[in-house]
Order: sequence, then structure tokens, then C-alpha cells
Amino acid sequence: MTPLLEMRGVGFAYAGREVLRDVNFSLQEGSCTALIGSNGVGKTTLLRLATGSLSPASGEVLLDGLGLRRMARREIARSLALVPQRLEVPFRFTVQQIVEQGRTPYLGRLRGMLVDDRIAVERAMDLARVTSLRTRIFNELSGGERQRVKIALGLAQQPRILLLDEPTQNLDIGRQVELVDLLHLLKAQGITIFASIHDLHLVPGNFEKVLLLGPGQSIVEGTAEDVMTNECLEWAFDCPPGRYVGMRPA
Amino acid sequence: METEWTRLQTVSAEQPDAQATVPSNRTGMAGLLALASGLGCVLVAAVVVSLAVGAVHVSVSSIIEASMGRRALSPMDHVILFEIRLPRVLASAVVGAALACAGLLFQGLFRNPLADPYVIGSSGGAVVGACIGILLFSQVAFMGFSATALLAFSGSVLTMIVVYALARSTSGTNVVALLLAGFAVSTMLGSSTYLFELLDPNPAVGSRVLSSWLHGVIGTPTWQELSIATALFAIAALTAFPLMRRLNTLALGDEYAQQLGVRVERTRIYLILAGSLLTAVAVSLGGLIGFAGLIVPHGARMLLGPDHVRLLPVTALSGAIFLVLTDTLARTVLAPKELPVGVLMVFIGGPFFLYLLRNSKREYGL
Repeated sequence: MTPLLEMRGVGFAYAGREVLRDVNFSLQEGSCTALIGSNGVGKTTLLRLATGSLSPASGEVLLDGLGLRRMARREIARSLALVPQRLEVPFRFTVQQIVEQGRTPYLGRLRGMLVDDRIAVERAMDLARVTSLRTRIFNELSGGERQRVKIALGLAQQPRILLLDEPTQNLDIGRQVELVDLLHLLKAQGITIFASIHDLHLVPGNFEKVLLLGPGQSIVEGTAEDVMTNECLEWAFDCPPGRYVGMRPA
Repeated sequence: METEWTRLQTVSAEQPDAQATVPSNRTGMAGLLALASGLGCVLVAAVVVSLAVGAVHVSVSSIIEASMGRRALSPMDHVILFEIRLPRVLASAVVGAALACAGLLFQGLFRNPLADPYVIGSSGGAVVGACIGILLFSQVAFMGFSATALLAFSGSVLTMIVVYALARSTSGTNVVALLLAGFAVSTMLGSSTYLFELLDPNPAVGSRVLSSWLHGVIGTPTWQELSIATALFAIAALTAFPLMRRLNTLALGDEYAQQLGVRVERTRIYLILAGSLLTAVAVSLGGLIGFAGLIVPHGARMLLGPDHVRLLPVTALSGAIFLVLTDTLARTVLAPKELPVGVLMVFIGGPFFLYLLRNSKREYGL
């Protein structure tokens, strides 16, 4: 079965500084995968490569078997959506106006939103539980509300795969649980989930597969039980033995 | 695997009832059309009032009846109204619409409400280009366009490129860097216009022309000049309008807009060209008039929200009304002397700019 998203031998460097080297992994349709790793190891870079925002220096990124380089941006945006870590919006855009931007890949310059577009926007807001916020100003929302609006924006693209860049960052535990429940709901709707996760305690039980991006740009892949071992976490996070025990899942 | 989600693509065809539950945009568009029609009527009224006011008073009823062919004006009134005042009033409407639209485009492009053609130096670049045209190539034309208009456009585009390159960083366009770069470039360009006075072979005439340009005086253009300026305004506005939805998406940031399928660099180039052409149109008719491009889009945004598709037509009409009224005030408030509209605009727009800067402090980390 062709993977929905695949990286083959992908390498990338910023101004000569190598960030990723020979990265290989694949995601099957309908899967829910967590990407973990220490700060600055290249998680965001990997997600940006997966969206086509960055072009790999070597190797290839494939979406449903097709190389991203050969696909038009609008075509990619109809299959794949990224929920960014930060979204700074000038002016007083309402939540609905922000979510409507997700229909951009479907609209022409002169074609406005049609009924199908409006249904998709309503459904995205409904799934992300932001319908009641539709007239609120995005910049005036709390961190948790903004996170849900960003997810609704991604969902309005009607993607097959949703990439999330540290979606639980700066959220309290209540909002973190709310967000993880939302990811379960989206998975049940058939959307493939690939999220970089900072809070390791959220990974076991919520993500069926884990990619651990370690030093030297090597990837360890498996279930949470396989990957989140003492040895792996000490190696990946350069954390002295025993100091992270309280952070580990029971 | 078919899920509720994947069925969305066809749900509207299969479930007609679903369409009824989705909020329609028709009400919003009807409201926008009503607002635009209302503003159109206000613009016509402002033009008529502006025609009536001046050293020689002509009643509004006389103007209306004359324009409907029911009454003949005296030859002197006819000359005053249709050969002196009407071209000037229409020119002020075009200048106002052009400056307001340029301000809207630059504010959307730079993602901050403090950008306007005057503040970011675009007007200064157009003035320098126009000065070169007036003083050195006044008799030259290309495809019907005077060298002055072409050089004003080139000056505006070049300045925008320089300011934009100076202010741009990897995370976007920093507002402090933008204002500083715009200020520095504007100051350099403003001072450089004095160099052209020294180069002027006919200093008496050149100085007067330059002075009126630098202070923002809307003269009485010929019908041909007005027609060309109006045509250029229409070209720029029609180029910009299909890009307004993209401008909304650019508010999410360059990278996000690109992920949504927007060709960011191409869109940005079209918008800079359209904004620069609008600035050049305004400068070619009225010289350096500041702050109109700041006040009008901001007011429209307060009324309608940040959706650029709705803002562009409303901003154009509001800008035209605003400058027709301001220019009427400028030529009557100190009668028989005439105050340059650019000077009056500084008195109105300067405090407004400071108010906006103060209210934007927290949002923009100033």
C-alpha cells in the first residue's frame, strides 16, 4: 500500500549547517504519529519539508507516491495542511474570517466562496469546536482557543493529512487534554495526524506511532513503548539518567 | 474508507437541506452594495458642493439644473465651473481614491496599519521622479504618457523596493524598521529635490512648480491629463481587486500563505506595482499629499473589518469624498489665499498618525 507521506533519504542544511541527514520514514493513511526530539533538533524543519515550504537538499518527499517538487502548491494544499506553532495576524480578523482562508486552495482570483466552501468552513469550525467563537477577534482569544482556530483553519482545507507543530505548547493540562481529544476525533474522521509533541507524557496512549529525532539527525521509529525507553530518551534529550522519571508515563 | 469528513466534497449535492443551514454571504454583499451606492451618492453631492464653493459663488440648484440641461449658465460661470473647478474637483477625487487605495494595499502588504505612501517614502520617490521629468524631460512623452508620469511611477517603484528590502527580515516586515527606512528614504528624497532646483535651466518657473508639488497642491489639470490619470487609476485598481482575497491570506504570513497555494512573490510584485502606480497617479496630479492613505483605510477598516475584498471599493469611494471635501476646505478656509491641501492634510493626518502609533504600541511592540 502506498504511504500517504514518505521521506526518502531527505537531507537539509541552513546556510551550510546540516540540520537533517538521510531521513527516512513513511506514514500510512489514517495513522496518528508523534514526532519527538530535543529543542532545535529539526522537528519544525522536518514538518516544513513535509509541506513543501522547504525543499530538501537531498532525497525526496512523496505525497501519495508523488514527489512534492512535481506538484503544484494548490494541489499539495488540498491534501496536506500544517497547523503552525505560531500564527501572528495583523488587523482584527474574526475567527470565521481566519478559518475561511483555509479555502484558498479551492478559490480562483475572482471566484468567491460557494456553498461547498461554506459547508467545509462550517464543518471545520464544528469539528474544532470554534463555531461559538466565529465572531470573536482572533487576536483576543486565549492560547487554547487560538490553537483550536488554527486547527479549524487547517481542516477547512479538507486535508487528508494534518501536520501540527507543537500544538500543546503553552497550554495548561486541561487544554492539552482537550486538544488530544480533538486529535482522536479527527483521526476517527479518517484524517492522518502527524504532530511534533513537546510534552512527552501526552504521547503514550494517544499516538500509535512515534518518530524520535535524535542527535546526529538519526530517527528511531516505533510504538511509544519501543521508542520511549530510558536509553533512547537519555540519548535523544541529553538528560542525566533518572532525572526525567517524573515526566515519564506510568 | 468513506467517513463523514470525506463525504463533504459531495454533501451539498446530496443534502440540499445542508445548504440552508450554512450562513450565506448574500446579506453581506447586499450590505456592501448598499454602502457603496450610498458613498457614490455622497461623492456626487460632495462634488456638486465643491463646484459651488469658491471666489465666485454658484448656487447648487443652478449647477444641478445646468447639468440636467434645464438652465443655461452665464459664459463666465460656465468657464469657472466646467473649465476651472470641475477638472480640479475630479482630480482631487482621483487623487483621494488613489492615495487611499495605495495606503490600503501597502498596509495589507506590510501587515501593519501605519504604512501609507507618504510614510514609507513611496510618494517621495514619485516626487523625485516627477521632478526629474518636469525639469529635464518636460517635452518628452512615450506612448501618450508624459515622461513626468512615467518617472513618477519609476521613482515610486524603486523607493518601494529599497524601503521594503531594508525593512524585510525572515519573520516578515518589522514595523519599526519600515518606519525608520521610510523616514530615512523620504528625508533623502525630500532634500534631493533641492538639487533639481539648482539644475533647473529656468529657476523662477521650476522653483514655483517644485514648491507646489512638495506642499501638495492640486492644480487644474487639462482634460487629457485627467483622462490619462483616471485610466491609470482604473488599471491599478482593476489589477489590485482580484488580488484582495490573496491579500487577506497574506495576513497569515508569507509561509502560511504559500502553504495555502498563494504565489507569494508574484502577488507581492503585482501589489507593489499597483500601489506604486496609484501613488504615481496621485503625485502626478497633486504632488506630495500625506496621511490620506493612512486615515481613510483605517476608518474603512473600523467600519467594515479587515476583509480587503470589501475594503477596496469602499476605501476608493471614501478617499475620493475625503479629498474632495479637504481640497474644498483648503481653497476656501483662508480665501482669497489658498492653503495647499497637502499642508492641511498634515494638520489633520499628523495627530491621527500619532494617535494610531500610540494605540498600536502594544500590538506591534513599539
